[in-house]
Amino acid sequence: MSGFDTAGRIHHTFQSARREFGWPPRYWIRYFSPSPAADIFADEAVAESGGAWDSGGPYVGCVSSPLQHRLSGSFAEGQADAQAYAASLLAAWNVVAQLKLPANNQLWCFLDQEYSTGLSLSYWNGWANYIANYNFAHLHTYPLYPALYCAPFSPYPNCTTIAAAKGLNIPSSVWSSEPEPCGTLKHRPKFNAQECSSASRSKVRSHLWQFGEQPGCGYTANVDLDLGDVNIPSYCFRVVARP
Amino acid sequence: MLAGGIGAGALIALPDPLLALRGDKPPARSPSPVAPDSQYVLLYGMPESMPFSGGSVAWAPYPEPRPRGPFPASRTRERLVAKPVADKIASTPVLSHDRTTVALVTVHTAAAGAKVTLALVDAATALISKQGSLTITDIRKGANILATPVFAPGTPTIALVLAITEPTGRRQARKVEAHTGRTVPMHAVTWTSHHALAYFDRHSGKFTGPFHLDNAPSLALTSAAANSSDLFVWTTKEPQPAKTRPQPPPLPWVSVFPLGAGQARASVPSPAPWPAGEPVVTLSTGEVGRLVNGRAVQVSSARTGEVTQTVIQPLNVTRAKPSAVTMEARQDGTVFLTKPGVGQAVVADPAEEFRIKAKVSYPVPATPLGAPWSKAVLSPEGDTLYVLGGAKAGGISAYDVATGKLARSYSYGRKYNGLYQLPSGVLLTISPQNPRLEFFSPHLSPLGTAATDLHISAVF
Repeated sequence: MSGFDTAGRIHHTFQSARREFGWPPRYWIRYFSPSPAADIFADEAVAESGGAWDSGGPYVGCVSSPLQHRLSGSFAEGQADAQAYAASLLAAWNVVAQLKLPANNQLWCFLDQEYSTGLSLSYWNGWANYIANYNFAHLHTYPLYPALYCAPFSPYPNCTTIAAAKGLNIPSSVWSSEPEPCGTLKHRPKFNAQECSSASRSKVRSHLWQFGEQPGCGYTANVDLDLGDVNIPSYCFRVVARP
Repeated sequence: MLAGGIGAGALIALPDPLLALRGDKPPARSPSPVAPDSQYVLLYGMPESMPFSGGSVAWAPYPEPRPRGPFPASRTRERLVAKPVADKIASTPVLSHDRTTVALVTVHTAAAGAKVTLALVDAATALISKQGSLTITDIRKGANILATPVFAPGTPTIALVLAITEPTGRRQARKVEAHTGRTVPMHAVTWTSHHALAYFDRHSGKFTGPFHLDNAPSLALTSAAANSSDLFVWTTKEPQPAKTRPQPPPLPWVSVFPLGAGQARASVPSPAPWPAGEPVVTLSTGEVGRLVNGRAVQVSSARTGEVTQTVIQPLNVTRAKPSAVTMEARQDGTVFLTKPGVGQAVVADPAEEFRIKAKVSYPVPATPLGAPWSKAVLSPEGDTLYVLGGAKAGGISAYDVATGKLARSYSYGRKYNGLYQLPSGVLLTISPQNPRLEFFSPHLSPLGTAATDLHISAVF
């Protein structure tokens, strides 16, 4: 179950990416606020959703990349970042009538923890608790689920932090950035994501794996390549018609 | 009272090795024109373990092949002793424009509400030079407070922008646990944020305020900057569910408050994006520049707050992954901007619509987005750009700004995550594992290393 993540514009990228990787993506993962590249989906949600539809992968997964030093910080910092993230998801949903929540009511919301960033338990608890408690669109179905993008074997606290999380603060999945064998969507590696269970007592599984990053793998198109061991579109926004 | 105001961050001070070991005096002619007396490097980060031991640092002169190291080992161990400055910090500390002071905030429960304490740390001595507290009253049990200090250059005022997030609704609900698949009961909480302002006078040590803004429900995240007369604050209304779709997202607003006031004298819509701690600087004109989307500077009028936007073309490059971006105002009125994810650094002149005065291209470092965000620094004279080495080579490099050409580089294969230049001119690199600190001369000669039990996420 392979797809792309990008900080670029889907509608500018999908044709070149399809040419380069020989296969349409099943899904896209896009940056939402707070992130350095959050503006593209926020400002062009209709065009982005249309791009996802046209690409043949009409599912939009969610990641947020706050100022990385904040991830070492306090509960209040985590809560504030999560509040902006949830609000940006709602804002996109408000703009695009064809954007629907997952049928299983579980939208995975990844927090981007880069390799050289430490994640404090205070921040994670503030962040994850807000996401898990968010009453999306006043539906009372609480469809947002905290999840974590990280390199499980990084020397900075990541898996050990989420190992200490409790209840609904436990992430639904890790999205592992390692290892990086590269490949294409057509010729992709067997699922082999690094697992937090190998680096800590966390039992959270890596259900999503970024097996190829643009700079490290020398890709031309502005995408990274991802593979899931579960049906990843089930945990993404669905674009149900061309907006 | 507070659900989680207590922070996880700690700040420790390490003597600048060049000054500490060559006579305990700042150099006669410091390379930094703005912080000539700084003798310490202040390290902010997350302790390896709790309770925090206080930030031990183990210094070592650079190992062979540098047989005649500049610092005798016996002296260094005695004189390079780190000292803890603060822990349980509620938000990332902020450095003053003249680099002489670091402001940090702690938040604690008080009988009548929450006690917010602002401490000013003197960069020259690493001592708290002034401290003051204010109590936030009439807030709900379980509230969280996010405090952002803002220095107003040329004044003794430090503004404090407070985001107060309170639980305004609680209900019983049920939700499927992702990791077990079971439906479990939950205490769902609705959080609502508003903002407040307070002003600290570093002469008197007294606070004015807090002034609560009538802007609930807003997003807690703000951006803020000040000039010598006004405080600029970007806020965003929290979007609400659309009754009919499509409904456009709320725009942020920038409000201009006279220093000391709780009432804005101007408040205008600002172009997106929503504020989220992006780089904001006070320009020499008194206007305020906000680097947005990693590629454009929005300048807010000092008089009205109205915004004009200029795209910085060398930064207007898209990659699959976003990048750290930094912007800092320089003494000569120019600004230095860099985006390590696309390997670009520029010096631009705000007085000429951000005309590019110098541009350097460099290989993308190994961690262009991760902490610390400082991956490239411009020397105080503006003639040399120091950057982390590329993802393959590691090490550090120096570029001649006038020509854009590589002047020299040094690497033994180690890939660093952050790069700073201390007021003494010494370069400091940050690594994930000990020794986490390495020191280099401005000519990239290795000087020494230091180990610490702090995961470093920022350096002041």
